[in-house]
Formats: sequence, C-alpha cells, structure tokens
Amino acid sequence: MRTALVLLLLLALASVGGSLLPQVPNSPERVARYLVDHPAWGEVFWRTGMFDVFGSWWFALITVLLFVSLVACLVPRSRALLRAMRQAPVQARELDGLRHVASFTAATDGATAVETARSVLRRRRFRVAVADDGRGLGADKGIAREAGSLLFHWAFVLLLLGVIVGKGFGFTGRATLAEGQTWADAAANYDPRSYRPGRFFTDGHSGAGIRLLSFEDGFRDSGVPMDFVSTVELLDPEGAVVRTEEVRVNHPVEFEGLRIFQYGFGWAPVITVRDGSGRVISEAPVIFGQGVAPEGVSQLAMPWSGFVKLPGLEPQVAVELELWPDSEAYLRSLETGEPQPMVIERAPFMRYTVWQGPLTDPSLARLDTRFMTRVDQGVVGAARTVDLPGATMTFSELRQYSVLQVSKDDGVGVVLGAAILVLVGLFPGLYVSRRKVWVRVSDDAAGARVQIGGFALQRKAQFEDEFTSIVDAVAASAGAARDQREMVRTR
Amino acid sequence: MSTQELADLSKDLFDVALFAYIAAMVASFAFLAFRRVPFAWVSTTIAVAGLGANIGSIVTRGMAAGRTPWGNMYEYSSVLAALAVVGYLVAVEWRAKIRTLGGFVYAFVIFTMAMAVSFFYVGPDDLLPALNSYWRQIHVTAMISSSSLLGIGCVITLVYLAKDRGERRQLAALQALEPPPILGGAIDADAAPDLLASPDPDAPRTVTGGRLPPAATLDRLAYRFIAFGFPIWTFGVICGAIWAQEAWARYWGWDPKETWSFITWVIFAGYLHARATAGWRGRRAAVIALVGAVSLFVTYYAVNLWIAGLHSYAT
Repeated sequence: MRTALVLLLLLALASVGGSLLPQVPNSPERVARYLVDHPAWGEVFWRTGMFDVFGSWWFALITVLLFVSLVACLVPRSRALLRAMRQAPVQARELDGLRHVASFTAATDGATAVETARSVLRRRRFRVAVADDGRGLGADKGIAREAGSLLFHWAFVLLLLGVIVGKGFGFTGRATLAEGQTWADAAANYDPRSYRPGRFFTDGHSGAGIRLLSFEDGFRDSGVPMDFVSTVELLDPEGAVVRTEEVRVNHPVEFEGLRIFQYGFGWAPVITVRDGSGRVISEAPVIFGQGVAPEGVSQLAMPWSGFVKLPGLEPQVAVELELWPDSEAYLRSLETGEPQPMVIERAPFMRYTVWQGPLTDPSLARLDTRFMTRVDQGVVGAARTVDLPGATMTFSELRQYSVLQVSKDDGVGVVLGAAILVLVGLFPGLYVSRRKVWVRVSDDAAGARVQIGGFALQRKAQFEDEFTSIVDAVAASAGAARDQREMVRTR
Repeated sequence: MSTQELADLSKDLFDVALFAYIAAMVASFAFLAFRRVPFAWVSTTIAVAGLGANIGSIVTRGMAAGRTPWGNMYEYSSVLAALAVVGYLVAVEWRAKIRTLGGFVYAFVIFTMAMAVSFFYVGPDDLLPALNSYWRQIHVTAMISSSSLLGIGCVITLVYLAKDRGERRQLAALQALEPPPILGGAIDADAAPDLLASPDPDAPRTVTGGRLPPAATLDRLAYRFIAFGFPIWTFGVICGAIWAQEAWARYWGWDPKETWSFITWVIFAGYLHARATAGWRGRRAAVIALVGAVSLFVTYYAVNLWIAGLHSYAT
C-alpha cells in the first residue's frame, strides 16, 4: 500500500508541474513563447518532457507502476476477503478483556438465551455462528467496509483499462465545413494540426459523411454568446442521408460510432473567379481565419482574413482578402475610435490585395508572397465583381463555416461504469464500521448467566449506543429484569 | 423589482452577511478568550442572521440573473460561504455541541467572501453556452459543497494542531514537575495543567464551556468533515468529467482546473489512508490535510486567477 501511495503522490507532483508549465497539447503557442523567453530552462524542460507531462514516457511509467503495485496489493486482500466471507465468525472464550462487556441473568436456560441472542443479532444483520458446544455465539458485521474499499480500488484498474482501450483504439480530430459543404470521415479530411489517432488505431475511418446545412450563432446585446448550432445531415458511407441533427454546444451527436461536437465557427465568403472568356475557373466558400485580438479589444471586433490562389492563370495570381462582415460596426469603429464587435452580417465587404508571380506553396494552409509582386488592391462589396489581371473576381455570397470536433472513443462507457463503481465502493469503504459481538452463557441456579462482549474497529462512539441497544434487546427477550443487568465498559 | 434592483439588493445582502460573519467571528473569539456564555449566544445569533442575509443574497442574485446563481466565481464563493456556515452550525454547534470553533470557521468564510468581492465580482450576467448544461447544477453543487466541507475540515485540523501542541506541552510540564505531586499542596492550583480539566477525549458531548475541545475530539471532528467531503468531491469530479465529455469532447484533458482537482483528490485520499495507517494518525495525517488545504485553495482560486485554462470563466 505504501508503494502505491508514494507513486500516487509522485503522480500528483508531476501534475503540479504539468499545470504550472504550459503544455503542448493544450497551448502550443504558450510553449513556444516560453522557449523563446527562457531558452536555458526551456531547453531543460523540453528534454525532460515537462511541456507534455501527461503524454511523457515517465508519467506513463509512474502510472503503470502505480497500478502494478495497486494490483499486487489488491489480489491478496481480495483473497482474504473471499476467505473471510466463506468462514463463519470466530468464537471467543474470554469476554472480560473486550472494550464493551455486559452481563445479566436470564429467565430462560442457556440454550434459549443463545438462540434469543442469535435472532436479535440476525435481525440486525449480523453474521452469526453458534459455538459448537451451544454455550455461546460469535457475530460480526461490516464486511462491506473491506468489500467497498476493494471495489473502489479495483474500479480504478477498470477505469485505466477503459482509458487505454478508448484512447488507444480511438481518435480525435476536427472537421471544418462551410454551409452547404459535405465532409467525409477519412484521415486526410481532418485538420492535420488537430488530428490525433490512438496508438492502436488501425481499422480506418468509417467514411460516414456530414453535410452542414446551416450554422447559427446567437449573441446577446452584451456580446456574450448565447448558442452555437450546426444543423447537419448525416450521411452513410454510400452518401445517402440517414438523418438530420442539430449539433450544439453541450449537445453532441452520435453517429456511426463517432461523436460530433460543436467546436468553432467563422466566416466563409463564396468567391467566384471567371477567366477572360467568362468561364468559371474557381467557385467555392473560402475558410477565413482571425488574428488574435490585441489586449483590450474584443476578438469579435477583429477582421477575418483569407486568400484565393489561382495557379491556372499565366502568370500565377493570388488574392489576399480581409473581410469585415458588418460594415455598420466598421463605420461606428471609425467614428468612435473603439473597435466594435461584428457578430452579424450587414453589408459585408472585403479589402483585397492582388499578387502576381510564382505560387511556391501549393497548400491551402498559407500563402507565401515572397516571390510575388503586388499589382493591385481595393475593396469589394457583397455581390460585386472586380477585375483581376486576366480574370474577374466576384464576392458572391457570405456564408459561415463550422468546426466540428469528431472523436471515437469506445472506452467512455467503461470509464463511466468504473467511475460509478468507484463511488459505489467509496461510501461503504469509508462509512461502514467493522464490529464484532460475542455471547457466552453459563448456567446458574437462578437461570442462565449471559455475558455479551463486543468492540468496533471504527466509529467507536456510535458502537457504544448500538452495543447497549443489542444488550437491551437480548436481555428483554430473555426475560432478564432491568436491574439485574450490569454494563461494564473497559478501554 | 427590476433586474438591476435585484442585483443591487443581492450585493447589499452579501455585504450584510459579510459584516455579520465578521461580528460573529469577533464574538466567538471573545467567547474563547473570556469564557462568558453570552458571547457564544451572540455569535450564533449573528451568524444565523448573516446566514439569512447570505441566502437572501443568493436567491435575489438568482432572480436577477434568471438562472441558478452558481455561474461564476463570485456566485460560487457566496454559496460556498453559506454552505460552510450551515455545515458548521449543524454539525459542530448543534450535533457535536461544540461552540468554540465558530471564530475559525467564520474566518474561513470571511476570507472566501472577501476574495469574492475583491477579485471576482461581476454582474448577474448570462452564461456562456458551454456552461449552459444541467450538469452545471450537479457538478458545481457537488464541488461547492465538498469544498466547504473539506475547508471546514482543514480549519478544524489547524485548530487541532495548535491544541495538540498545547496538550503535549502540558503533558511535558506535568512530567517535569519535581518532586512528583503525590502529597497535596505542592502544585499551584492556577498553574495546574489543563489536561486535568478534560482528561477524557472520548467525552466530546460534555464540552460546553469556553474551552477548545480536547485535541482528540478536534481530530475526529476534522476527520468527519473530510471523510464526508471526500466522496462528494469524487462525485463532483466525475460529474465534471461527464460534462466535459459533452461540452469539450473529452472527459479528461488535464486542463489546469482538472489537474488540480485531481491533485487535491490525491492529497485527501492520502490523508484518509494515513488515518488508517499506524504511525500516521494524528499530527502527521493533519499535516497532509493542511497540504490538502493549500491544494484546495489553488484548485478553487489560483487556477482561475493565475493559470489560463478552459475554466477561466471568472474574469
């Protein structure tokens, strides 16, 4: 037990470190800043895994050792409990040394007095065994304490298994969809920065699809968000619509073994580009992102940015875009000098900058303009068209996009069950007290001399009352006069 | 009444409660110092009045916000204070018949409320969507009740350590008396050790005077509070995990608040184990409980004040 406790304490200590230092899975940007600000310590912490304490090899090692020592402790205890449950309560010859002792003279003979005591104790749910000679009995109660304690501890083993299986064979990732777009569950379709397959996750993705019909965000006048709701059609791997659901904060949707959560949102303007002959060469909602707001400025007041790459044109062209979804708020910001939050679409417009030159980075993640030259800039309103070199660009429509967190974790049910068992075991493990009672009788001229003794291992003060009431009940049933009872209490 | 009036009333009642608790604390310490029973009555009466104001403040706050009033740190602290006072009055004054510990418990309550007004006061605003779940009621209720129980347990542990030290000193003084006081007249009656006044640690129900209960009684009382608070803490953390699974797509993510609730859980689990281990009962276990108190403080306040995370709803 001591080893397990020390290891548990070590785990807690490691957690302190993990909560004081920024952690890569939770806040990579803060880790990066720490590494810049404190290069020497940063280097040490980085090498020892202090920036990912909960994913480090040594945290896993302590956890494994903890559970090994826990199991090594639980197995013999469980065996002993099973043995104790099978065995009858032991008998005692000598009751005088016990903490609580009482005696009285019964009106009945000894055998009847023992039988009376047996039924009193049985009614109080004691386990009772009458001695072989019939001159006494042994009784005990409170085996639930040890059973509860063992259940509590075994439940943690189950919990760990649930965590390992669930995380190991599952995955999490984020899907970004503009309104009207369809997304399919496949490794390549997750945002690579957020995609985390489990260590043993091999069976591939379901291929199930999600089509975002609409996204609604509601804000109160104070700027406090009210709710975020993605209305989605769920598609089976063949692309047939299975059902329509609303994914909202605190209300995830389950589908094909996946859990789908509302995670984020943003603006996705639809931008249509036509070549010189009027043929559409690109028409799609573009996912716009936001820079982090400076101190004291609402994040909602920040403009949104994105870009369009046109590799088909000769020379190649890229357009950088900056979206202001609410021009009234924008104008008010200019008037008051205070940045105003923009939460609804009102005459949106985009500032654009046109770049010409080789597109060196084909990805959709970033735009590299180092080898390009700026050729034009301007402003385009909704449903307006502007000229690009050799093409036209139309701000066709402003849509929203939704970021959905998708995860598969089949261990959640096991973990929940284990957590419930932890609680179920904890209450008897803490509050039930083990107590033992013995009765011995010896025949006297006036009747049977009955001696009752007992003690409790926990809650000793309460046992005093219980013991008294047991003695009273036995004495009353055995017909002993009240003044003939004597209660002796030793410590 | 308008929302604003209700909010103002709630704030006024909060101040009334705070000052009532301060007065109750002073009266309780006066009882301890001068051992005059009226002080105890005054202390209890004012504390009950303060509790009434405290509950009134919580109710009007809930009416002003149009939701259960535990949605941010200010509101948690107010509820925590009320629960701690209820817990003390019921379990210690009424059931255990001990009336000398009020000052210490009220000090803890006053600290909680002062922290709330100085660092966490916000108007009765609407909730963020992530907080808008029925699990909020269950998780937060469990966390606040267990925090108040564990908090009282730690306060009593602190008193226990002081009292235990005193008793040990007296014991040492008794043993150092030379020659042994076999024949009467050798001991100055006023300097007679306190130990003789309350020799039986198993008789807590008779403690009514303006003295601290014996160390053994304090120890057991502190244990009861912690043993009562611990399963509720466990339950609260589990409910938090269930809620996190719905709101954040994972039941456990080592967010600072989660991490510290785990650390606090481990420390109090260690305390309960220590209580059951020979050689660790008494003072050593008490020291673990005090480490738990520090961890409880960090979990409850420091995480919100200084460590950024998903639970930073307070500021």
